[in-house]
Amino acid sequence: MKLPALDRRALYVLLFLAVALPLLFPIGLVGSVSKSTRQFHRLIESLQPGDVILISFDCEAASWAEIGPVARAVILHAMKRDLRIVGTSFLSEGTALGYRLLSELATEHGKSYGEDWAYLGFRPQYVAAMLGLGESIIREYPKDYLEQPAESLPIFAGVQSYRQIKLVISIADDSMPQYWVEYAGGRHGVPIAAGLSAVMLTTFTPYLDSHQLVGLVSGLKGAAEYEQLLGVTGAGTRGMDAQSSAHLAIIVLVVVGNAIYFRGRRKS
Amino acid sequence: MSEPAIWISALCTLAIYSFLYRDNPVYRAAEQILVGLSVGYLVVITVRSTLIPRVWTPATDGNPWAFVAAALVLLMWTRLHPKAGWLSRLPLALVVGAGAGLSIPALLKARVTSQMAAVLTPTPDFNTFVGALGVITTLAYFHFTRPRTGVFDGVARVGTWYLMIFFGATFGFTIMSRISLLLGRSEFLLGTWLGILP
Repeated sequence: MKLPALDRRALYVLLFLAVALPLLFPIGLVGSVSKSTRQFHRLIESLQPGDVILISFDCEAASWAEIGPVARAVILHAMKRDLRIVGTSFLSEGTALGYRLLSELATEHGKSYGEDWAYLGFRPQYVAAMLGLGESIIREYPKDYLEQPAESLPIFAGVQSYRQIKLVISIADDSMPQYWVEYAGGRHGVPIAAGLSAVMLTTFTPYLDSHQLVGLVSGLKGAAEYEQLLGVTGAGTRGMDAQSSAHLAIIVLVVVGNAIYFRGRRKS
Repeated sequence: MSEPAIWISALCTLAIYSFLYRDNPVYRAAEQILVGLSVGYLVVITVRSTLIPRVWTPATDGNPWAFVAAALVLLMWTRLHPKAGWLSRLPLALVVGAGAGLSIPALLKARVTSQMAAVLTPTPDFNTFVGALGVITTLAYFHFTRPRTGVFDGVARVGTWYLMIFFGATFGFTIMSRISLLLGRSEFLLGTWLGILP
């Protein structure tokens, strides 16, 4: 059988094997930590215990496999630093995912709801909500995700708006950090950082270079780098073997495919 | 995750991946379930988190602004009626007007002036030079009202190279993203579901 006639489904099997085999037989590849991930880590380190940060889960379930490890590493770091976390979401599916992750990590680290963390839930009109948070958090979110009056939560005592929030982190698989930069960062001066899917990295690197984003972690590689800085092994680190072997398989296929194409063209 | 939830999730994943073999009714059923669940969840969460606390509760408390908001929402629905459809232009005009007013200055600052300031830094280094060259040559590439001749053509060609590098990097990161998603599902199927991962 000639290679050009190969059924494309054979390539799917090959790619699955390239991902599955390193998961079954891990090698333990360790990569270097990028400048942007190190910057993000330093940023969280620079905050004081008790400082309030806002984390927005602006992502869909489809990309959670990539974004989840980023969110987990960042929240883990924030909780280790005893930062107080307020969660929200501007995409419906991210709402439940964010709450599940926050409550799971809060339970693991003995953080109590209402004091160390709170979850405000979903808002459909993100521009209005981002601007509203600059005026009054309680007015924008009268009730939290659990339908308790937000003003009854101790975490909001003395926290009225962006003025008392030290950092906003958008965990996003799309362009939501852009709106955070425009409406929260640009208008209210609150520092914005982003945990992104890898595909968005080229879009948001200029925002980091222009200091409109103060930190950026992207993709499973970024999660692995962050876990490396924290000294923990999570989904990011575990995935690096498989990610590397899949990339290698794709590179080989691209080279072989092009070689066959050019050989065929020369013959004709 | 509970045991039934793991099984449902695993079977739905396999149903979606079955499309890689060929289109089939199991794939289509899983796709429809996903679309239905997503829309249903969005409706429920919007009603629970926005319409009830922001419109219904204030209205029952006698807040007049809640009635104004509710009236504007109802006017949007007049689009469904051929004769009363023009009424929907009122809330739409409000949304477009307020949206444009809010977004234009914010967008100009974030996407134009701040980016220009980053390129025109008073302490330039090699990266700044590469960035500035990229901005100028790429803008030249998109300047369509002048014939591509002489020096201008050369500058625009450099812009083409910048664009190709950007597309290549973006495509590379897209592949990285998609592999991460496959990895996540593979880890779930082999680990959480089958329990064969170390």
